[in-house]
Order: sequence, then C-alpha cells, then structure tokens
Amino acid sequence: MRFATDTGGTFTDLIVEYDDGRWAMYKASTTPDDPVVGVINALAKAADDNQCDLTEFVSKGDVFIHGTTHAINAIITGNTAKTAIMVTKGHPDILLMREGGRSQPFNHTLRYPDPYVPRDLTFEIDERVNYAGDILTALDENSVITALDAIKNTDVEAIAVALLWSISNGAHEERIGALIEARLGKDFPYTLSHRLNPTLREYRRASSTSIDASLKPLMGRYLDTLTDRLSAAGFAGHVYVVSSQGGMMAARDMAGKPIHAINSGPSMAPISGRYYASRENKDQAVIVADTGGTTYDLSLVRDGQVPMTREMWVGEKYLGHMTGFPSVDVKSIGAGGGSIAWVDAGGMLHVGPQSAGSTPGPACYQNGGMDPTLTDASLVLGYLDPDFFLGGAMEISVPCARNAIEEKVAKPLGISIEQAAWDIVDLATENMTQAIVDITVNQGIDPASAILIGGGGAAGLNSTFIAKRLGCKKLIIPEVGAALSAAGALLSDLTTEHRKTHFVSTDSFDMPTVNAILDALKAKCMAFVEEAGDQVIDYQLTYKAEARYPNQVWEIEIPFAVEQFSSALDLEAMKQVFHENHKRIFAINDTDSEVEIVTWSVSVRCRICQNTMAGRLSGDGVEEVKANTRSIIFANEDRYEADIIRFEAMKENQTFNGPAIVESPFTTVVVDPQTQFSRTQDGSLILVPTQETTNA
Amino acid sequence: MHKQGGKANGVQLAVLNSRFEGVASKMSNTLYRTGRSGVLNRARDFSCCIVTAGGDLLTVSESLPIHVLSGPDMMARSMLEFHPEVKKGDAYVNNSPYHGCSHAADQTILVPVMDDEGRHRFTVLAKAHQADIGNSVPTTYHGEAKDVYEEGALIFPNVQIQRDYQDIDDIIRMCRLRIRVPEQWYGDYLAALGAARIGEKEIMIMARDVGWDALEEFSTQWLDYSEQRMIKALAALPAGSSTKTSTHDHFPGTPEGGVPITVHVNVDPENSKVVVDLTDNMDCMPCGLNLSEACSRTSAMIGIFNSIDHTVPKNGGSFRCIDVKLRQGCVVGIPDHPFSCSVATTNIADRVANGVQTAMAELGEHMGMAEAGAVIAPNAGVVSGVDHRSGKAYVNQIFLGFTGGAASASEDCWLTIGHVGNAGLCYQDSVEMDELYQPLHVYKRHIIQDTEGAGKFRGAPSFYCEFGPVGSSFEIGYVSDGNTNGAQGVRGGLCGGTSDQYLLKKDGAQEPLSPCAQVVVQADERIVAISTGGGGFGAPKERSIDRVVKDCRDGVISVERAKAIYGVDVDKTGMVDVAATDKMRAGD
Repeated sequence: MRFATDTGGTFTDLIVEYDDGRWAMYKASTTPDDPVVGVINALAKAADDNQCDLTEFVSKGDVFIHGTTHAINAIITGNTAKTAIMVTKGHPDILLMREGGRSQPFNHTLRYPDPYVPRDLTFEIDERVNYAGDILTALDENSVITALDAIKNTDVEAIAVALLWSISNGAHEERIGALIEARLGKDFPYTLSHRLNPTLREYRRASSTSIDASLKPLMGRYLDTLTDRLSAAGFAGHVYVVSSQGGMMAARDMAGKPIHAINSGPSMAPISGRYYASRENKDQAVIVADTGGTTYDLSLVRDGQVPMTREMWVGEKYLGHMTGFPSVDVKSIGAGGGSIAWVDAGGMLHVGPQSAGSTPGPACYQNGGMDPTLTDASLVLGYLDPDFFLGGAMEISVPCARNAIEEKVAKPLGISIEQAAWDIVDLATENMTQAIVDITVNQGIDPASAILIGGGGAAGLNSTFIAKRLGCKKLIIPEVGAALSAAGALLSDLTTEHRKTHFVSTDSFDMPTVNAILDALKAKCMAFVEEAGDQVIDYQLTYKAEARYPNQVWEIEIPFAVEQFSSALDLEAMKQVFHENHKRIFAINDTDSEVEIVTWSVSVRCRICQNTMAGRLSGDGVEEVKANTRSIIFANEDRYEADIIRFEAMKENQTFNGPAIVESPFTTVVVDPQTQFSRTQDGSLILVPTQETTNA
Repeated sequence: MHKQGGKANGVQLAVLNSRFEGVASKMSNTLYRTGRSGVLNRARDFSCCIVTAGGDLLTVSESLPIHVLSGPDMMARSMLEFHPEVKKGDAYVNNSPYHGCSHAADQTILVPVMDDEGRHRFTVLAKAHQADIGNSVPTTYHGEAKDVYEEGALIFPNVQIQRDYQDIDDIIRMCRLRIRVPEQWYGDYLAALGAARIGEKEIMIMARDVGWDALEEFSTQWLDYSEQRMIKALAALPAGSSTKTSTHDHFPGTPEGGVPITVHVNVDPENSKVVVDLTDNMDCMPCGLNLSEACSRTSAMIGIFNSIDHTVPKNGGSFRCIDVKLRQGCVVGIPDHPFSCSVATTNIADRVANGVQTAMAELGEHMGMAEAGAVIAPNAGVVSGVDHRSGKAYVNQIFLGFTGGAASASEDCWLTIGHVGNAGLCYQDSVEMDELYQPLHVYKRHIIQDTEGAGKFRGAPSFYCEFGPVGSSFEIGYVSDGNTNGAQGVRGGLCGGTSDQYLLKKDGAQEPLSPCAQVVVQADERIVAISTGGGGFGAPKERSIDRVVKDCRDGVISVERAKAIYGVDVDKTGMVDVAATDKMRAGD
C-alpha cells in the first residue's frame, strides 16, 4: 500500500493506493503550526474509512510520499534560520547587487529587496580561484577562523559558503566546511555552493546556497519529525519527499538539501496532468492548470516531458530571491477564486492580482469582505450552489455577492449586476488564458492544439471558457483533480539528476574528459537506483546537454543519444539536434555555427508503480442522484436552465450536452450550451467545446 | 475576445491590450535568449515595441525608457517617407540619429505588418544596442568624436535589409566588413530580426482572430483611454512652473565649465498639458554628446513619467498631453548633421530627465524625484582586444556594477537603476561570466559606505569596482560623467557620491584617468572605477529612525554619518540614544 500526501495552504490531501490498485482520496485541514498533524489526521480519516485503527492501517504501507509547502511558507513568512554567508574577499555585495533587472520601469514606489543574507552577516574570506580552477590566492584559514569565531558569538544558526569559481575548484569550500565542523560542531548546518549547485554565475549560486542553508535547521527538524512520527504511528516503509524538480528524494536526503523542497507539491501537478492526458492522446501538448484560491498554477507538458525552468524565483521576479535551481516550470499568476474585481480611474475593469484570501474571503463568505471576487461572480451567475458549497460545509450569501458586485463594478461601469458578474468571469478567464498563451506561445506551442487539464477545486468554474478561448479541442477534469499533486506523486517515478558544468565547443571537443564526466554522473545515478532497492521495477538513464551558439549565454537543453562519445558522427548528431531545437524555439538558427556545451547531466528514472489502473478512485458510481436544474447565466446575460449532474453518478462513455453543472463534494464544473461532455473509463470528465471560428 | 467592429468595452480593451503586450514580450524573449553579444544577452540592452500604421507608439515590452518613449514613432514614419510602398516580407534597418533613432549603436529592425490585401496596418520594431557599430575606435560611445565622420559609425537611415523574407546581402556584406567581430554582429542581427518577425507573425495571428479593423479600432481606443488616464493623472498635480539646471561635466569638445542643461517645466492640469522647454540651451557641440531628436524628446518624457502616477500607459495617447519644445541645432534639440550623437542615450539625456524630475519635485512634495546618478564609468565601458586564450578578437560592453538610483517622493532608491534613462532594466554581469568571456579579472566590487544621497528617502551609494586584463592587454572606452557634478537631491535631500577612475599600476601606484577616454590597459594593471550614487529626497533628519539604524547595521552608512547627517545617535550594536536623537532632530 502507498500513501501520497500533499500539504497545501488550506487542505492536506491524501491519496491511498491499495495493493489491488484502487485509490481513495481524503482531505483534512492543514495545520500550519505543525503540518505533520494534518498529515496524521488525513491518515486517520483513511483508517476510519477502512474501519481499522491508525497503527494497523499505517503499518500496511510500503511507501509514503510527501509534498509540502512548508519550505516556501517559511521563506515567505520569514521563519527561516538566521544565516551567515562566506564569500571571496573583495566581493561582499553579490547578494545585494544580484544580477540587476527590474520590472515596471516607472514605478518608484517599490522597495529594493534586501539581500537574502544581510551585509553584517557577510564574511569575506581571503582566497581566489580563477575560471580555470587555478588557485591565485591560497585560502587564508585565519580569515575563516576569525569569521567562525565572530559567528559563534551571534545567534546565527546556519552558514552558506559561496566562493567565486568554486565550481572549477571546490578545495577552498571543502576546507571551510571542515573548519566549520571542527569549530562549531559536526551538526552545525552549512551549505557549500559547489556541492549544492555547481552552476556558473556567482549570484544565483550564492543565492541558492543561502536559501538552502537557511532552510536546513527547520526542514531538518520537520522531515525528521515526519519520519519519526510516521514510525511512531507504525509506518516502516520508505519516506520520500517530492522535490521542486518533480522527482522524489529520500526524506533524509531532502533534509540535507532542503532548497529542493521549495516547489514540493505544485511540481507534481504536471505529472498528474500528463498522466490523465496521455490516457487520451499521447502526442498532444498538455496544459496543466491548477486553480487555487489566490493563484492559478500553470505548466505545459510537451512530448511527454514535464517542463523545467532553470530560473525559479521565490516570490516575484526581481523582488524575491532566485533559487538558482531548475524546477518544474510552474507559473503562477494572481488569479483564483478569491481574486478581487475592481475598476480603475479610467473606467477599466481589473480582476486580481489582489486576492481576498481566506480572510476576509469573498463577499459571499460574509466574513467582512466587501470586495467582489471571482467566487462572488460565479455565485451571482448561478454556477455555485449557495446550499452546496464545499458539499454544504459552508454557508455563502447571494445578496452579499450581488451587493459587492453592484457597488464596485456594475455601478462604476454603468452595467447590470449580471453583466458585471459575467465580465468578471470573462476577464479572469482572459487573464488565465493570457497566462497560458504566454507559457505556450513562448515555447512555440499553439494552445489550440493542446489538451487542457483542469485541476484544483475551483477549476470547474471557468475552465470550459478558457478551453474555448484557447481553441482547445479537449478539456479534462480528472476525478482526482481536486488533489492533482498528491495524485501526481503516486503516478511519479523515482528520479534523480546529476549535473556537471564543463565547457566545451564542438570545434575543440575533448572526448575523453567529457566521457569521464558522463561516467561519473552515471555512477551517481546508479548508486541512487541501488539504494532504492527492490521496489524498482526498471530504470532508464537520460543524457542531456545545455548548449548554445558561441557567445550566446542562455543555453537550451538538448538530449543526446549516446552514453559515451566515440566518433565525430556522435558529435555531428548532437549539433543537428541543437540546430533543430533552436529553430523550433526561436524561429531562427545558424547552421554554419559551432555549438558550445556548458553543462552535462545524467538523470535516472526508476519505475516503482506497476499499477496499470492507477489514477482511478474506488467506491464511486454510487446511487443515482435525482434530476435537478438550476438557472445559470452566460455572456450577454443569456439565462439557461441547466441540468445539475452528480460527477460520481455519471455513467462512463455517455455523452451529455451543456448547459449543465457537474457537481461533486470536491468540485463544480460549469458547462456552457455549446459544449459536450462525457466520463471516461478513467473516471475523468472530458469536455469538448464546439469551436467558434476564432483562435487564440 | 470576439468583437468584430464597434467600440470595445473595458473588458475587451483589457483583453486586446494584454494580447498586444504578449506579442511585445515574446519579441523581447526571443532577442534576449538568442543575442550573441553580452550587451544583449547578459545586460539586456534592447527594446521591442509595436506602433500603429500612422506611427503612434502602441505597446512596448518592458524596455529601457530612453529607447522607446519617442523614437520608434519617428522611425516608423521615416520608413514610410523613404519607402511609401512597403510590402510583406520587407525589413528595414535604421540607426540614424537624424531619422528617429536614439544613437548609432541602437540598430533597429523595422518590419511593416501587412494585411492580406497588402495594406500596412502596424510596424514592429526591435532595437538592440550593438557591441560594435563600426566606429573609428572600438566603443559604441565615442564621446570625443567631433562629428559623425570621426565617430565613424555605419549609419543606416531606414535602409531595406530584407525583401520577401530574404536578406539583402549587399547590406550584410557591408556590415560584415565594417563592424568588429562580424560573426557576433550577424548573430545579433539574426536575434533582432527574429524578434521582429515573431512580432509580425503574432499580430497576423491576432488579426485572423479578431479582424484587422477591430485591431485598428482597438488601437484608436487604447490611445484615447491612455490619454484619459494621463489627463486624470495630471489633474492630480498642482499647477505651476519650475526651472532646473543639471550640469554635465566638462569633456573634450565641451566648454570648460561643463554643459549646463536648463529645463523649464510647466504643469497645466486645467488644460491637461505638461510643457518641457529645452530650447534655452547651447548649440550642438563638436563631440559625441549631442542628443538625437528621439533622445531629446524621450529624456524629457522620462522625467515626467517618473514623476506622476506610474500606471498611466506610456504610448501615443498619453504623449498627447506632453509638449516638448525643441530647437534645431541645439545640444538637447534636433541635431544638425554632421554633429555626432554617439553618446545620446546616456550622459546629456540623463541631465535632461534629471532636470525634469527635480523640477517636478519642486512643484509639489509628493511628486517628482531626485537626480539619478550619471554614467558611463569604466566598469560599464566597452572592452576590446584579442583573447590570448583563443587568439580571437573580442569587443563588448561590460556591466560590472552600477547603482545610481534616485530617491522618490515615497521610497528609497532602486539600488541598481544604472542611470535615469535605463531605469534599472539592464542586467549586471556576473564576475564569472566576464572572466570567462573576456581575458579579464575582477578584483573587488562593493558599494561604498557614506556615499548615498542622504534624505528622508535616500539615493543609492556609489559603487567601487577594480578590474583589469590578464594575460594580454585590453582597450577600454568609457564616458564617465559625474566626476564633478554628482546626483543632486531635492527638497532638502543631499547629493549622491561622485564618480572617479584611475589606473592601478603593477607597483601599486595610482595614475589618474580622464573621465572620457579610450585607454589601453596592460595585463595585470587594474582600472578602478567608482560610479555615482543617487540623490536623496527630503531632509535627512526626517528619515525614519528605523531606516537609519538599518542602514548603519548594513554598513551603508557609518554611525558617525548617522549622527552628523541624519541626527540619529546610534551605536555599533544598533542601540539608539532616543533623547540625544530627539534633541539633534529637533535642533538645527
């Protein structure tokens, strides 16, 4: 039996996979002060459901996979450890100066971000290595010891070490690490930049090192607690934590490199989306959209590949901090159920990016929120049932929603409340659509040719409209869509990746050195496979290079087919792949040019899930729910009497026509009159919009 | 968005605007990721925009302000003047400061976007600062050039460079023979062309979606909306006039006392107009500092937009409320050929923009800004030479650290603003990247304590950078204003640190360097570049005590300065003597 839990802002999702392949989904409230409580509570619900006690139930588990927003929350709320940084003498302001760049050139009201580690906790170490790894100035150990003694007298809890060119020669950082252990104790948390993130560009490396060090005390505690308390509850299997890169790390490894937990959770959504889309059509690009209360998280899966970014930021770009790590490329925009609608001085409507959050929440929650939100608009339009919100767990008020929309939108624009409500939904739809267009078009994908996956509890409100706007021919709302990330964790393979920065050009390709690097990277991957033990069914190695044209500095990642380079033909083949990829992404290429490779990587993917009917909830197809209708409104105040259909009661492969509302305790899906829908054998809801003549 | 004709409502306006912005940002992304020279792919010194068929600026990606407010409009109109019959598949190159371009290094690719009937609907522009443009010396900022001939840049006054989507190879061959490191230039040309072509393609897709007429109707409406926003923003300002002078340091070819730039600003909310009069200035000078018309207009506009509600869209609509008065043959006006405008985007242009925003600050206490720092110090200079590691020639502008941010009426500086015309959009180089790409070594980089422009809101401190060639010599060109005239504060705010530059010989001896020079530096010698700080806004003694204490703790200011300038008695541990502080702050 396997468990996957995902601790989000509001709910802790749990999916249990029984040994016969059946799945069951549970939700418990997240407990921010001690997130492990929420996890245990969710497990307790599952145990109840199985009519056995927690220990007995949990002890049957082989694998426990955990996604968590604990690391990102600690950063956002300023609860990370007090951290010092050691840098090369002469370069104390790497974290202050960053890499420059700014958005909103005329906005002089924003405060320049503080460095992740303040200047008074920055220590300059006398040493210098050059680009080739030559030691120009030997490490002055006294400068290290002086710094450590100074640190000892403060409440600093962790140390980051980020020296220039440590990626070419890590000896100085290694020695500092030894000195930290000798001086401050073996368990004192610290991070060495060349070990953590051997990437070129000192700011991003220093930034990742600082963030990682600052998370170590907290995440170490948390992950140890998680492991211990699961053991105490009777669990004796493997505990894995989901990484930002969409892989899984043993909990104790994650405790050693906690920066990888920043996108833990959201990174699994695209894996889930890919899975449900591939059941339909393996060749199409897949847009995975996860609608929360305040953000709309997006990713694009193409050729079956989960998208990655090399530049993940914590917080807003330029205002937050660069992690310096690749991550599953999940783009968030400020649009969700709680996004506030407002009209500016010029009479233009906006929706978001501000959100009413959970407090005070949308106006209809009656918790003092006066601003109309997307949720309020959905209520006014009849999409949400005031008596069946969250399965009836929460009372919401139509008059409050109407009043807020009237005051803040309808009156200023001189339109009716219904029209205003539709406009809010329409503009939110447009914002979400534009965000999808950005991520797709930027990668040369026509969104019209893609499948849209709607995840998150609020996905159903306007996903149909978004699909139409994009020209998507198919929208899928998975049965477990409300717990998309947890589902992804169960569907995911066990993966790890190792990379090495080593610059070569195709006109002076040093084959033996490259081959040695590839060998070493492969060996690390194989050690990972071995450690995972007998749960591994099979594994696959992937070789990739980050490459560019001479003098370009932004690489694109290309796969290559050989484990070792043995001839000029191998090299030529790699060049061709690069030229083709460059043309595909940027509309131009330069086929006469040489190609430069900056980084080599080998990753391994171990298949551990052998469940061919994974992703399907058990225990549905319950009783027929009696037919019902509700009056709902679409564009131009067109009002329809829509069928209300229970998700669980829908028969497989029977086609329905909109207008309709499909409801479950987890979600509400709005279907417009031009859309057909049905339920697949996987349990997913598939919606097929009738295309208008237009195209996004 | 499925509207066919008729007026778009607020929602539809937002939708189409967002789509046009999407086009511009896609253009930018292409240029950034495919550019070959560091000035593009590391520093991001480029801009992309869309103008209407009539030449009004419609949509800009997040771009350096000095590149785009005015200029693209003039270039697009100039294209039609020389080529009244533009066709699908055409592309034009313009880098002429006499025909709407900012300066010769800002090579711009213009692509007319045509509908199926061959009607010209929009023009897309991709402007990219070149690493080299064929000047007589290896720098794109030739401050000493007494005219365009000595400057030596290849000048393209809207010359056709593609027909039927194919290069006109005559032009490419000319460039390859005259521009240094030609393969780098060609790669950068491809990047800009790719950006423009992607913009063209995206607009055509949009037109297929909503129709060309709806797009044009949107353009009209969007410009009108932007004008209304500007009218409302101006209505919030006090009426009045103000005059400010900002003086550029003495450089070769300028008067001994430097170049005073005087701006008269008149804000007239009732008639929804801001007038900036630049005519009261000297004639063009025999050096590269003269402004192009594009930079004269744009720099004045930057000062205005820095001073008002930042959410007003910047385009041909809001520009209707701005009247910039220029004079033919004036150093900050319309340049007469063959005066050189090689350095038009930075030095004197910054003096104009700074003058306008400080004049605005004098008109009301909640508007305007202090002066941002001056440029271009050697650590943002153009380096060239032959890399002994590869035997290959190189030329490139480096960006090894600039601060310069000015305080505004409501917040401290944005530290890495660069200069006022740049607005912090450029990236700064990584030491490792610069050492990898050029045979140079960076010894020290840090901000300098006690050089911030003090104020209620403070400006940026100066930046110190020590670097030099290793293994072989290099040549470096720079034009460092602000050695004498630092960034002024406003409304009681103080001046930011001044700039300086000198050579550190191998024996440690210091040798002063001219602020505007082309210098050969020998291997293992070092250049020390000190760039300017930014001015403060409001009296330093009105600065919040918390912010003063934080600046002390961060080492931005010393405890001595906290006491002397800010009137805060704080010790090294951050403890504030409240009584002493109150007394100092109450006194004077």
